[in-house]
Amino acid sequence: MRQGAAPRAALALAGLLLGALVLSPYLVMLLAAVKPAGELRISPPRLTPIDWQWGHFADVMRDPDFLTWLRVSLVVAAASTALVLLAAVPAAYYTARHRFRGRTAFLFLVLVTQMFSPTALVVGLHREFFELDLINTYLALVLTNAAFNLAFAVWILRAFFASIPREIEEAAAVDGCGRLRVLWQIVLPVSRPGLVTALIFSFIAAWNEYIVALTLMTDPDKKPLTVGITSYVTAYVQHWNSLFAASLIAIVPVVALFALIERHLVAGLTAGSVK
Amino acid sequence: MRRRPTLLWWVSAVAALLAAACDQGSGAKSRALTSIKVVIADYSKDHTRPFWQSLSEAYTKQTGIKVDLQVVDWNSIDQQVTTMIQNNQPPDVLNLNAFSSYAKDGLLHSADEVLSPRTREDFLPAFVRGGEYQGKLYGFPILSSARAFFYNRDLLARAGVAAPPRTWDELVTAARRVRALGADTIGYALPLGPEEAQAEWAIWMWNNGGDWKSGDQWADGAFQLFKDGKVGMVMGFSPLAKQLDAEGKIQYAVAEMPTNIGTAVTLAVEDYLMAFKKPGNADAVKTFLDLYYQPETITRWIRAEGFLPVTRSGLEQMRADPGLKPYLDALPSAKLAPTIDPAWDKVKLDVQQTIGLAVQPGGNPKQVLDRLQHNAAAAGGR
Amino acid sequence: MGGPRRARRATGWQALFWLGPSLALIGGFVLYPAAQLVRASLSQFSVTGLAQGFVGLRNYTRLFRQEPLAMVVANTVVWVAVVVAVTIFLSLALAQLLGARFPGRTLVRWALIVPWAASVIMTSKLFAWIYDYYFGVLNPALQALGILSHPVDWLGDDATVMGAMIAVGVFVSLPFTTYVLLAGLQGISPDVFEAARVDGASAWRTYRSVTLPLLRPALLVATVLNIIYVFNSFPIVWTLNDRNPGFGHDTMITYMYKIAFKSSLRDVGLAAALGVVNVLLILLAVVGYLKTVRWREEAA
Repeated sequence: MRQGAAPRAALALAGLLLGALVLSPYLVMLLAAVKPAGELRISPPRLTPIDWQWGHFADVMRDPDFLTWLRVSLVVAAASTALVLLAAVPAAYYTARHRFRGRTAFLFLVLVTQMFSPTALVVGLHREFFELDLINTYLALVLTNAAFNLAFAVWILRAFFASIPREIEEAAAVDGCGRLRVLWQIVLPVSRPGLVTALIFSFIAAWNEYIVALTLMTDPDKKPLTVGITSYVTAYVQHWNSLFAASLIAIVPVVALFALIERHLVAGLTAGSVK
Repeated sequence: MRRRPTLLWWVSAVAALLAAACDQGSGAKSRALTSIKVVIADYSKDHTRPFWQSLSEAYTKQTGIKVDLQVVDWNSIDQQVTTMIQNNQPPDVLNLNAFSSYAKDGLLHSADEVLSPRTREDFLPAFVRGGEYQGKLYGFPILSSARAFFYNRDLLARAGVAAPPRTWDELVTAARRVRALGADTIGYALPLGPEEAQAEWAIWMWNNGGDWKSGDQWADGAFQLFKDGKVGMVMGFSPLAKQLDAEGKIQYAVAEMPTNIGTAVTLAVEDYLMAFKKPGNADAVKTFLDLYYQPETITRWIRAEGFLPVTRSGLEQMRADPGLKPYLDALPSAKLAPTIDPAWDKVKLDVQQTIGLAVQPGGNPKQVLDRLQHNAAAAGGR
Repeated sequence: MGGPRRARRATGWQALFWLGPSLALIGGFVLYPAAQLVRASLSQFSVTGLAQGFVGLRNYTRLFRQEPLAMVVANTVVWVAVVVAVTIFLSLALAQLLGARFPGRTLVRWALIVPWAASVIMTSKLFAWIYDYYFGVLNPALQALGILSHPVDWLGDDATVMGAMIAVGVFVSLPFTTYVLLAGLQGISPDVFEAARVDGASAWRTYRSVTLPLLRPALLVATVLNIIYVFNSFPIVWTLNDRNPGFGHDTMITYMYKIAFKSSLRDVGLAAALGVVNVLLILLAVVGYLKTVRWREEAA
C-alpha cells in the first residue's frame, strides 16, 4: 500500500508512543537500578535518582555469582534450543510430508504437552532426575526445557515445511538424494526463517524458565539467572537495585539475538501461518 | 486417534530405553554413606551460607564425609522439602520452623540417637520442651527470637505521646494520634499478610487473656514500613533491632508489650534442626550436630544473624551484650509457639492465609475466627 | 538407519525414526512426570509430603468440596478470558501498525520484544513495585496527569487487584501475540488489498471482510497458545497477589501451589488432583475453542 507523508508521520508518532509505553516500566526499573538503596523507599516516590549510581551495573557485572548464573543460563538456553530444533525438524518434516496412522494423535499429543503446568510436573521431574542421578546437571535442565518447548517448534515448522512445494524435493529425489539429504540440502535452507522462529521462541522460554531450575539446581554453581538473582533480595538483605540491574542485563542477550534475526522471524511466521 | 495404543507403546518404549541408558553410573553417591545432605533455611545472604559452608568443610576434614549443603530461601523451602519427602529423598539434617509433623510421621531420629548427652544438657529447658513430641526430643533448637514492642520515638513525640502505651486502650489512642500526623503515617502496623499473621495474632490473644498457638517467619511488609519511618508502633522481633541499628535511620525504642491482664506476655520462637532417619546415617549426623553445638560455634552463628541463644552456655556468653537485654529479660515470660503439636503446622498456615480477612474493609471478624476455630479443631482431631 | 527393508512394515519404523527424538523428549520429560502427577493425585500424603498409600479418587471428591474452588474457577475464567481477549484485540492493532512502513519501525519492533525477553517473574516484581501504595510511581504519575484525585492501593484493594494483574498479563502476552499476527498479516498478498481498493471498499470494510478472514490461521495459533500460557501463568498472580490473605484473587495454578505448600490443607495429593483437573480444563477449553471455530484444515 502506498502511503503519503502525513499518514507516515502519524504512524511514526504511534510507533514512538508504542515504544515508549512498552519500555516505560523498564525505564522505571533502570532508574531504580541506579538509585542508592536509601532512595528506593522514599515517599512521595521520585522517578529519577537524586544520586545517580551507575556503578550498580558494574558491581553486578563483576559479581562472580552473577557471571556464573549468566553462563549457566546461556549454556542451558543454547543447548536446549539446539535440542528442540534437532528433535522438532524431523518430526515436523515427517508429519508435513506423510499421512500415517497416528499422525493427528502425534500432533495433538505435542499440543497437550503444553497444557501441563511445569509447577505440576516439577515433583515428577525431581524424582526422575534424582533416580537418573542428574540433579544439578545441565543435562537435566536442557532435556526439560527442550521437552517443554518442543510443541511450538513442531507446529510452526510443520506448517512451514508443508508450504514448500513438493516438486522441489521430488526433483532432488530423482537425482538420487536420500530423504535426509533432501531435508538437509533442500528443505532446511529454504526454511531458515521458520527455524529462526522456533529458535527465538525456544531460547526465550528456556532463558526465563524458573520453577524447574529452582527445584533441580540446588548447587550455587549451577543456578541459572532466574533462580540466582532472587538471592539479591532475601528476608534480610534487600539489594533491589542490584536485582533490577541484573534483570536488565539479562534482557540484553535476548534482545541482541532478536535484533540479529528479526527480519527472519517475521518472514518465518509468515510462511508458517499462510498455507 | 484409534491408533493411540501404538503411539503410546512407542513413547513408553523410548522412555524406558532412555531411562535405562541414563541410569548407568547412578547410585554410587547414595549407596555407601560418603555424603550427607544438609538443608538450611536462608537467614541472610551475608552469613548463612558462609557459616554453614565453613562448618561443612570442617566436618568433611574431620570425618571424610562430604556435605551436600543446600541453603534454601524461606519462600521456597516448604516446596523444596515437601518435594524431597514426597520423592522419598529426605535430607539428613534439616533446619525449619516446624518439626512435629515430621516426628509424627516417624521420619526423625530422636535426641537419644543423634545428640551427645553433653550437647543435650546445654539446651535451655524451655526450648527442650518446645522440641518434644510424645515425650521425646526431636526438634533441636537451632536459634531463637523474641517479639518486642518497637516504637518510633520521633513519631510518638511529634504526636504528643509521652510514654509507650502500657495497655491496649493506650495503644489505640497512641495509634490514632500518630495517624493524625498525616503524610501517610501509620499508627500501628499489623503484619497480617501471610508472612507474619500468626505471630501478631498470638500476641493479641495472650495479652487479652486468651490462649492459642503460634509460630514464626518474618515479614518485610510491616517491618519494612517501620524501617522506613512510616509507622509509629509495630510488634517487632529481635533481629529487627540489628537491622535498625545497621541502617541508623530511625530513632526507635523497645518496650514491653501493652497488656490488659497485668503482666506482659511476649512470643518467643525457636527454629529447629532435625535429623532424618536414613539407613546408617546416625553416627555421621551425630558428629555434624555436635560440631554445630560447640558453644563457640553456635554462638558465633546466632550473633552474626542477630538472634537469641538456645543454650545455657550461649545465654551466658550473650548476657554481656547490653543491646540484647530487653529480649533476654523477656525470654522467661515468653510463651513458646505450640510447634510441638503436629496440628499446628496446619493451623499456622490457616491463620496466615485468612486472619487478614477479618480486618479488611467489609471483613467479618467473627466469621473468620469461627472458621479458624473449626479448622483448627478439625486439624487437631486427625 | 531406517531404510525400508520390508515395504509393509516400513512406515512404522520410518515414523519411529523421524518422530523418535520428539517422542523420547515428550515421553521422558513430560509424560513420565505427568504419570507421576496422576499417581500422586490418587494417593494420600501427610502434611510433610510422606506418601500414605493409594486412596483412589478421594482427592478428587475432596477437591470438589473445597469451598474456595468455585471462586477460584471464576477468577481463572475471568483472568484467562479477559487477558486473552484484550491481548488479541490490542495485538491486532499493533500488528497492523508494525506491518506498516514508517521511520523507526525496526526500533519499535526491538522495543516490543523487551517484555517478552524479560523474565516474567522480574516483570511481575517490577509491576508490584510500580503499583506499590507507598513507594510506587503509578499513583503520583496518574495524579500528576489529573486522572486520579487520590492514591489507590492497587494491589491491596479487592476492587483493583484483578484489574492490576490482568494489565500485567496483557502486557507480557502482547509481544508474542503481535509477532504471530504480524506474520499472518504480511503473508497476505498485497493484490488482495489492491482489489478491494479498486472495488471502492472503505478501509474498515476491507479490514473486516478481507484482512480478518485471511488472518484466521494466525489468530488461531495465537489464541490457542495464549489460552494455554495464560491459564498456566504463575508468577504474575503469585507476585502481585502475595500480600492478600485468603484465596480471593487466586487462579487455579496459584491455588494449586497454595494447597500443596501454603494453605492449611498442605496436601500434595489434593494439589496433584487439581493439577490433573487443570489440564483437563485447558484441554476442554482448547478443544471447545477449536470446535467453535471449526478448526480442520490445520490438523489435516
